[in-house]
Amino acid sequence: MGWVELQVRGYPEFMRTAQSYHGRPIFVLFCGDKDAEGKSWCPDCVTAEPIVRKELHNLPDESVFIYCLVGDRPYWKDPNNEFKKNLKLTGVPTLLKYGTPQKLVEEECFKAELVRMLFTED
Amino acid sequence: SVQAHKEEDNPQKTMEVNGLTPVPDSYDYDLIVIGGGSGGLAAAKEAAKYGKKVMVLDFVTPTPQGSSWGLGGTCVNVGCIPKKLMHQAALLGQALQDSRKFGWEFTEEVKHNWMTMTESVQNYIGSLNWGYRVALRDTKVTYENAYGEFVGPHTIKATNKKGIEKLYTAERFIIATGERPRYLSIPGDKEYCISSDDLFSLPYCPGKTLVVGASYVALECAGFLAGLGLDVTVMVRSILLRGFDQDMANKIGEYMKEHGINFIRQFVPIKIEQVEEGTPGILKITAKSTTGDQVMEGEYNTVLLAIGRDPCTRKIGLDKVGVRINEKTGKIPVNDEEQTNVPYIYAIGDILQDKLELTPVAIQAGRLLVRRLYAGATTKCDYVNVPTTVFTPLEYGACGYSEETAVEKFGEENIEVYHSHFWPLEWTVPSRDNNKCYAKIICNIQDNERVIGFHVLGPHAGEVTQGFAAAIKCGLTKEQLDNTIGIHPVCAEV
Repeated sequence: MGWVELQVRGYPEFMRTAQSYHGRPIFVLFCGDKDAEGKSWCPDCVTAEPIVRKELHNLPDESVFIYCLVGDRPYWKDPNNEFKKNLKLTGVPTLLKYGTPQKLVEEECFKAELVRMLFTED
Repeated sequence: SVQAHKEEDNPQKTMEVNGLTPVPDSYDYDLIVIGGGSGGLAAAKEAAKYGKKVMVLDFVTPTPQGSSWGLGGTCVNVGCIPKKLMHQAALLGQALQDSRKFGWEFTEEVKHNWMTMTESVQNYIGSLNWGYRVALRDTKVTYENAYGEFVGPHTIKATNKKGIEKLYTAERFIIATGERPRYLSIPGDKEYCISSDDLFSLPYCPGKTLVVGASYVALECAGFLAGLGLDVTVMVRSILLRGFDQDMANKIGEYMKEHGINFIRQFVPIKIEQVEEGTPGILKITAKSTTGDQVMEGEYNTVLLAIGRDPCTRKIGLDKVGVRINEKTGKIPVNDEEQTNVPYIYAIGDILQDKLELTPVAIQAGRLLVRRLYAGATTKCDYVNVPTTVFTPLEYGACGYSEETAVEKFGEENIEVYHSHFWPLEWTVPSRDNNKCYAKIICNIQDNERVIGFHVLGPHAGEVTQGFAAAIKCGLTKEQLDNTIGIHPVCAEV
């Protein structure tokens, strides 16, 4: 059946989407918001996104890939934002397998090998 | 490197062992580490630092109850880490009780939820398993979740959980396969009992528990289970904490008894039967006295066996490469450079004969070994004066000789023991025991009253002991200790 991508913005939309795909492997890439020209305020996210996208073809069948924009920079910097509080995210970009302790944070997302390992191994 | 290999090897010996399998003259890897635990991973990561081509094989044979776990070995998955977290859970329960005396008011009764604790602990362990896999991949160490065994010189067979076999060769090997809990060999033991391998991921609260054994594993588990509010009994064949200072061991036992843990002394189980199925069910245990014909019976929800651990050395093909093991114990004797009788095969960690079974020891041995092999270092692992802590309800930290061993080695007239009871300030207000915490140092009179043994029984014993271990390594004497002004008010000032 292949895999499917969804793009969401903000915590409530993310949670609704993740919950609606309960039962399937869900991979999420969290990035900072993009401006009108499509450029994120988060430079590491700008670097990571193409590297992660290049590995998407390795996603197992039936997977869901959620590309989630977390918000603007002031929202992210607030230590009480919902992503930090509820999902325990510590930085952007974060690439994780939802519902497991498996995740890659910041520069780890630059390494194609690690991204591939997250997508393909148990 | 091929040249070096030929000089080290004893071709005569290789042909004796297995004349048919050829010795390869170039290898798949510089180093293969069998076992992805504390020692194995430390050695593998260190070797990768020096640009070596390394493979780690790690495989967990499921327990009789079906439990299994990820990369990281005993400490991370079914040892130190979950143990300390559950011990902490029990301490927090005690703290909640104490807090009322310090003015905290809460009207609800305090209860403990086993599943909540276990899920949190297992989540943390999962993040550690993942962290190790990222670390290995990042340092270009090849990791295979496969069972490794020797099939011939320099050659290993790796079998994964689907049964697929692959052969690999390496110039050198490090065996770091660790141990697994021992069973009793009595009817019903494997079918109905659990071990520490199962306890930390048990998907239901163990309920009324019988712990069989008097090892630190037995006492630590009994301790935190009781601290979480469960009805716990410990069945002991003879003494507590064999190998540890017996004066301290008895104090630990007394404390546990006074705090609601039942002890059945001088009995061994002879039969386990199931009375009722369930999670947990009800088990009936029959036990025989070690001093007479008396037989007793008891019913418990869970029986936890903690009677010892056996090295995983008997089914890894050591005979195919001629590595000698102690046939009785399964342990591997090594020289002071962790080398087995086969020059290109080394061993580290719990499987070593006559060495301490501790994570930091395995890590240190692994790192130093690899530095000697690949970085021209000469430092050997120092196994003397290694500090340890037992996380029983009253924690026990120790470094150096027990009183008995000091007397045996130096003679009673040549050692001086200084000791005192102390009452932690935090225990005064909630009226906790005022004569249980205890510390003693054992000094060698003939050597400037050098401190050769340090023992402390009290809260935060591990934290207290670590600093003293460094001082002992520097040759601490009683006079230096006396001249060190204490920090007040802390337990360590005693």
